[in-house]
Amino acid sequence: MLAILDTAVVHGLQGELVRVEVDIANGLPSCSIVGLPDAALSEARERVRSAIRNSGFDYPLSRITVNLAPADRRKHGAAYDVAIAIGILLANEQIRASGGPWALLGELSLDGSVRPVPGVLPMVATLRDAGHRRICVPGANVAEASLVEDLEIVGVEGLDDVARHIAGPHGRKAAAARRRRAIRIARGAEPDASDRLTPGDATELADLRGQEQARWALEVAIAGRHNLLLVGSPGAGKTMLARAAPRLQPPLSEAEAREVAVIRSVCGLVTSASDQLSRPFRSPHHTTSYAAMVGGGPRLRPGLVTQAHHGVLFLDELAEFSRHVLDALRQPLEDGSVEIVRAHGSVTYPAELQLIAAMNPCRCGWDGDPERACRCPTSEPERYRRRVSGPLLDRIDLRVVMPRLSADEIVSLRRPERSETVERRIHEAWTRSMQRNDGVPNARLRGQQLLEHCALERATRMRLQELAQGLELTARGVHRLLRVARTIADLAGAGVVADAHLAAAAALNDRSFEREATA
Amino acid sequence: VNERDAWIALASTPGVGDHTFARLLAVHGSASLALSATARLRASHADRALAGWTGIRLRHGLARAIRQAADDPTRVQRAVAALGGWTLTPLDAAYPRLLAVIEEPPPVLYGLGDPAAITEGLLVAVVGTRRPTAMARDLATRIGQRAAEADITVVSGLALGIDGAAHRAAIDGGGRTVGVVGSGLDVPGPAGNRRLADRITRHGAIVSELAPGVHATKGTFPRRNRIISGLARATIVVEAPARSGALITARHALEQGRTVLVAPGRPFDPRISGNLALLREAPVRPLIGLDEMLADLELEPVDDVPAPPLAREAALRSLEPTQRRVAAALASGPATIDALCRATELDAGVVSAALTMLQLRGWASTYGPTLLPAGPLTRMDK
Repeated sequence: MLAILDTAVVHGLQGELVRVEVDIANGLPSCSIVGLPDAALSEARERVRSAIRNSGFDYPLSRITVNLAPADRRKHGAAYDVAIAIGILLANEQIRASGGPWALLGELSLDGSVRPVPGVLPMVATLRDAGHRRICVPGANVAEASLVEDLEIVGVEGLDDVARHIAGPHGRKAAAARRRRAIRIARGAEPDASDRLTPGDATELADLRGQEQARWALEVAIAGRHNLLLVGSPGAGKTMLARAAPRLQPPLSEAEAREVAVIRSVCGLVTSASDQLSRPFRSPHHTTSYAAMVGGGPRLRPGLVTQAHHGVLFLDELAEFSRHVLDALRQPLEDGSVEIVRAHGSVTYPAELQLIAAMNPCRCGWDGDPERACRCPTSEPERYRRRVSGPLLDRIDLRVVMPRLSADEIVSLRRPERSETVERRIHEAWTRSMQRNDGVPNARLRGQQLLEHCALERATRMRLQELAQGLELTARGVHRLLRVARTIADLAGAGVVADAHLAAAAALNDRSFEREATA
Repeated sequence: VNERDAWIALASTPGVGDHTFARLLAVHGSASLALSATARLRASHADRALAGWTGIRLRHGLARAIRQAADDPTRVQRAVAALGGWTLTPLDAAYPRLLAVIEEPPPVLYGLGDPAAITEGLLVAVVGTRRPTAMARDLATRIGQRAAEADITVVSGLALGIDGAAHRAAIDGGGRTVGVVGSGLDVPGPAGNRRLADRITRHGAIVSELAPGVHATKGTFPRRNRIISGLARATIVVEAPARSGALITARHALEQGRTVLVAPGRPFDPRISGNLALLREAPVRPLIGLDEMLADLELEPVDDVPAPPLAREAALRSLEPTQRRVAAALASGPATIDALCRATELDAGVVSAALTMLQLRGWASTYGPTLLPAGPLTRMDK
């Protein structure tokens, strides 16, 4: 007998419909899965057999054939387990389906419980578009799946649960009592701290003493989503400052939240409902590989640049990242997306990220420190800084050098502003800029938009010219100055960019990366 | 052959160093005789004979190089002229007298710019590390500026760091400066100083003892330092760690019997340990202030030469209120933006904007994360 169920696979950030067909025929007991399954999927056989038995059903001793259509699309992951198991039970007539066809998602545990799977959000959206109105998803994925509207989401905890739902009120009652619950693995194990999109332990700005300029730079950076580079000796507070970013970021708009939720879903990063509107903050270690940064790998997983979509990508020890990885950031920083092309097709992942980077001024870390001597050879600091290529540096609007404070300075300084206060200013500036720019952050203003939203009065234009000449700015540098000045004006609540905003913006572009020449 | 041409031809021959040159001169009596004697040697024995004359180890090909130089004695001078430069030898009356009396004066000085810069007026060397602290850089700037005001020519090595700061300050202050380089005049020095080199040729001179086309090697810089101290009546060591080239210059200056002024620093600070060692072990004078510096140079202090106090006040008044506050805070010495925020109790954004404008006007310059007072601000009393 034949059973047909629907499920889905994720390709890029899109779901695609997969039809599971199960046929049971006479013959030697066997189970074969066809339709380009990968290793994890082939192993579904074993999981499904145990899960069926341990849920109080019988595993049919017949010749079982499972086909995943379309046959030419490679399938991966374990999200089909539930569909396969239910397909076997239906084909074996152990349960009967009321209505249908059914759409099911979920991975099975050997004890028959249903485990969450990544990518539920886009998969559910696809199934809805295919006409389904009721979808079974793992209980731990319900919150995520519920983001898709016009659907009845059925959260299930175990295979028997699924059977009950499928069978409807008249179906056979599953022998739930017989199910062994002994080895239930915690479902949807909490992602570990390093994998969290928004760390709960964000720095409170009031705890960071001194660094008036760097704090202000961070405020400007976040209010306009400008990329920011912090340079300073060890202990200057670069990392601590950057870690204040998550709290300061303005909330996501609804459309943005939906995009972010899809990415979180595909990456299998489970987030609580309260995190739904918070922007991501990713801080990978400097040994991060190319594929992990831009995305890809054999199964085309979104990279960190995509995971930081609409949020912050914080790269600590920027110069220690491999050159290869850093240069790969250029396209996402420029286009806000990253296209990954493989022999069997291409995927474009969104990557509207804001880069916050921190690095030492030289290898030993003490170049320019007022207290300690740098031990690097004379030309080393410059070589070290040049590990960050010009084109990448060009895309970083704000560059700030953070001097280290001496111990008595730290003690004597008065307690600075709290995150809350800064956050409020940022949100106001953000709202203002979003209304004016039609939803484009200041950092993304280009060409005509830039000229329109940063229109200057005549006297201010003269000042801009003076600055451009005095600081020897390139055309790109002038645009950068304008964008940053726009954000500074927004923070000040000014409608028009004024002289002071331009001059202040110029100070946020530290030129120690250029040669000594102009001193 | 004209003796001066022969002199330059022999001295600029590759392989003829100061020692070889001096020995050949001593053996033959003059450069032209040395050239003609070398030319008369049989090719097979020439190198050996030269080694005999000079008492320096045998070097193959030396005789041939000298003979080529003798064939076209004005080749190097034409190359110098093509660069727009000039040459000076001890044969010339204009050869700096202070330099002529040192041990091993350079046989030829190749120069760009104004030769009067090394022959006239009072020259003082300002030397130090290529990677100074902000404080030292500020000091070098103040010294250069005060020197310019007192009509002193600043001599230095056209290196990054202290050298560059001293040269720049001298030029910016309207004075003259001399850069002594350790390679041929047409061989570019540090990339960061190319524009400075151009400016020096317009406000002084760049000189070298090496012929055009000769590249710097390990030994050329220490040897060059004897010319820096030799041209100057006094040498000022601004900031030197142990084993710094600036210490070699100071040692040359002491051997040449010149005054050496050394800026004191904090004990134990490795970045200035060279200065401290000099102060402890050598007959040098500590540099404790710019007026004292001029006194040590046996000059009248020139505190009325800079903008008189009234003009300074007027200059400060020309600034907007916030700029004035920031400028006043900066006048007391190098500071970070953060320190200026605290000193003025203004927001980082306001201070930043003020600093940008001060920089544009030449009242401040940056050095890494540190702001340095510049222009009118360096003339304000601390």
